[in-house]
Amino acid sequence: MKRFGALKKRPEPWETDELIRLENLVKIYDMGALKVLGLKQINLTIRRGEFVAVMGQSGSGKSTLMNILGCLDRPTSGHYYLDGADTGEMTAGELSAVRNRKIGFVFQSFNLIPRTSALKNVELPMTYGRRPKKERRERAMELLARVGLETRWSHMPNELSGGQRQRVAIARALANEPPLILADEPTGNLDTAASEEIMELFSGLHDEGVTVVVVTHEEEIAAFTGRIIRFRDGEIISDETNPCPRRKGGGERCC
Amino acid sequence: MLLENMQMAFHAIRANKMRSFLTMLGIIIGIGSVISIVSIGDTMRSLFAGLYKDVGLTQTYVSIGYWIDDVRESDYFTMDELDRIREVFGSRIAYMDSSAYLSGEARAGENSVKFEFSGVDYNYQQVQPVRLLYGRYLNEGDVKGRRGNAVMEAAGAERLFGTQNAVGKTFRTDVYGTVTEFTVVGVYEREMNAFQKLMTGSGSDTGQAFIPWTLLTWPNDRFYQCHLFADESMTAAELDRFYRELTYYVAKIKNRNPEDLYVYTATEEMNQLDSIMGGLSAAVGGIAAISLLVGGIGIMNIMLVSVTERTREIGIRKALGATTRDVMIQFLTESAILSACGGIIGILLGGGAVVLGGFLLGLEVVVKPSVVVLAVTFSAAVGVFFGMYPASKAAKADPIEALRYE
Repeated sequence: MKRFGALKKRPEPWETDELIRLENLVKIYDMGALKVLGLKQINLTIRRGEFVAVMGQSGSGKSTLMNILGCLDRPTSGHYYLDGADTGEMTAGELSAVRNRKIGFVFQSFNLIPRTSALKNVELPMTYGRRPKKERRERAMELLARVGLETRWSHMPNELSGGQRQRVAIARALANEPPLILADEPTGNLDTAASEEIMELFSGLHDEGVTVVVVTHEEEIAAFTGRIIRFRDGEIISDETNPCPRRKGGGERCC
Repeated sequence: MLLENMQMAFHAIRANKMRSFLTMLGIIIGIGSVISIVSIGDTMRSLFAGLYKDVGLTQTYVSIGYWIDDVRESDYFTMDELDRIREVFGSRIAYMDSSAYLSGEARAGENSVKFEFSGVDYNYQQVQPVRLLYGRYLNEGDVKGRRGNAVMEAAGAERLFGTQNAVGKTFRTDVYGTVTEFTVVGVYEREMNAFQKLMTGSGSDTGQAFIPWTLLTWPNDRFYQCHLFADESMTAAELDRFYRELTYYVAKIKNRNPEDLYVYTATEEMNQLDSIMGGLSAAVGGIAAISLLVGGIGIMNIMLVSVTERTREIGIRKALGATTRDVMIQFLTESAILSACGGIIGILLGGGAVVLGGFLLGLEVVVKPSVVVLAVTFSAAVGVFFGMYPASKAAKADPIEALRYE
C-alpha cells in the first residue's frame, strides 16, 4: 500500500501512547484585508484511548481545531502529528488516505449521503479504502448491528429518525477501524433521550479503547467524557480531567 | 472501483429521471439523426449499386464525341465494323448491338398503344435476362434476316391485344417513316425491385418490346453508336485495359484521335455517383453531428447544476476519504454514462426509423455496425469531454466549504 507510506515516517508511533500532538499550532484566516486569528499557539497532546470533550462558545476556535484535527484544513504554522506522522508534510492524496483510515467523522447534521441506503452509507469509507465488496458488505452489516440498526439496513436516510441517522453515521465512522473518532456537536440536532443514547455509544467505544474527541457546548454532554478542554478566543483556557464520567441512566462508575 | 462508480452514476441518473432524460435528449436527437442520415445514405448507395448491377456494370457505349462539330459519315458504325470489333476483342465482349431505340404507336385493329422498341441482338437475353411467359426470344435468324418479329412485355401486350398470350398476333408501327408490320413471337415479364418501381413510376402506360437491332439502322444502314457489355469475369485492371484498347481500336478504324471519342462506361458512372452520394451523406451527417455538440453542452450544463446541488455530498465523500481523483472519476463516469445512454437510445431510434422506413417501402436498408460503434464511442467521448469541467469543479471543492453548504 504505497499511498500510505508517508504515514509511517516516524518509526515508532505504536510504541508511544500519543495519538495526537499539536505543537505551536496557529491558524490565521486570511479574509483579504482582514486577518482573523483562529487559533493562537495551541499545544495539546491526546493519548490513545482518551475520551475528550472540546468545549467553547461559537467563535472560540473549537471548530477550527476540529477541521485541523480532521485533516480537512491545514494549520498556518506549527505541527500536527497524528499517529506519529506530521500531517503538514502530506500531499492532498495522503491526507485523503489519512481521513479514510485514521479518522472517523460524526457530524452535527449527520451528513449521510441522501437517497442512499444505510448499508451503502456505512460501506462508503471502505469503498474509498478499496476493500473487497463482500468484506465491505459483511462489515457494514456487523457495524449496523452494533448500533442496533441491522433491520434498517435498506432504509434511506430520510426514512430514519435523527437518533437513528446519527447511529448510522457512527457505524460509518467506525468502518475502517480508525484510531480516532471526531464528533462535531454529535447531539446538537437530537433530543435528550437520543443524545444520551449517542453518548452512551461513544462511552462504549471508549471502553473498547477507541480514542473519541467530541466538540460540544453542552456541559451535560461533556460530562460523559474523561477530559474537558475549554477554548476561548482561539486559546485553551482550561484542560482538566473529569474523574467521574456520566453514563446513561445516571450510573456513575467511580463516584 | 469502476463498477462502484458506474453503480453510483446509474443511481444518480435514476434519482433524477426526468432531468436525466431531458439531458440525454440532445444526444439522442444528435446520434439518432447522424445514424439515420448515414444509414439512408448507405442504403441509397447500395440500392444504386444494385441498380447498376441490374443494368450491367460492364455496359459500355462508344460513339463520336458529342462535342465534335464536323461529324463525318464515317463516324457512324457499319455492320462490318461492328463485326470486326467483335472479332478483334473476342470473348472479352459478351454482347454487342447499336443500342438503337424507337418510340411510337403500336396499332392492332382498333387499339393503339404507345410503345418503346429496343433494337437488340438475339443473345441480349444472356446479359439482360427476362422471364419469358409465352413463345420464344428473338433468334439469330430474326436478327440476320431482319424479320419483323417482336418480344413484348406482358403489360403492353395486355393493353394492345387484351391478352397476355399475344404470340402470333401482329401489329403495325412506323419505323423511320415507313409503316412496318411486326409479329409477336414471345411475351416476357419484367421483374423489378421496389426501388426500380419507385424510380420508374407505376403510372407508366408505355409498352416495351424488343425487336431485331438490324431493323433500326439509320441513316443508311449505319449506327450512331456501338453498345456492348464487356465480359463480367474480367478484373478491374483487365476491364480498364479493355476499355483503353477498345477506344484506340475504334479511333484507328474511324481515323480519329482517341480523345474525339465518347466512351461511356456504367462502372465509371456508378463510381462517380457513389462518391457524390458518399460525400453528400458525409456532409449532411456532419451537419447533424453539430447537434451532438449542442447535446454535449446540455450535458455540461446539467452536470454543473448537479455538482452545485451535490456540493454537500462531495464534502461528505471527501471527509470520508475520497480523493480528488475519486470525485473526478465519479462525475466523469456519470456524464459519460448519461451521454452513452443517450447515444444508445439515439441509435435505437435512428436505426429503428430507418429500418421501419425501409420495411414500409419494401427496401433492404443498410445500417453499418461500424457506424453504430463509432456513434456510441463518440457520444461517450462527448460525455467525457463535456463532463470534464463540471467534474474538475466538483473534485476541487474545499471539503470544509462543501460540508457547510446548505
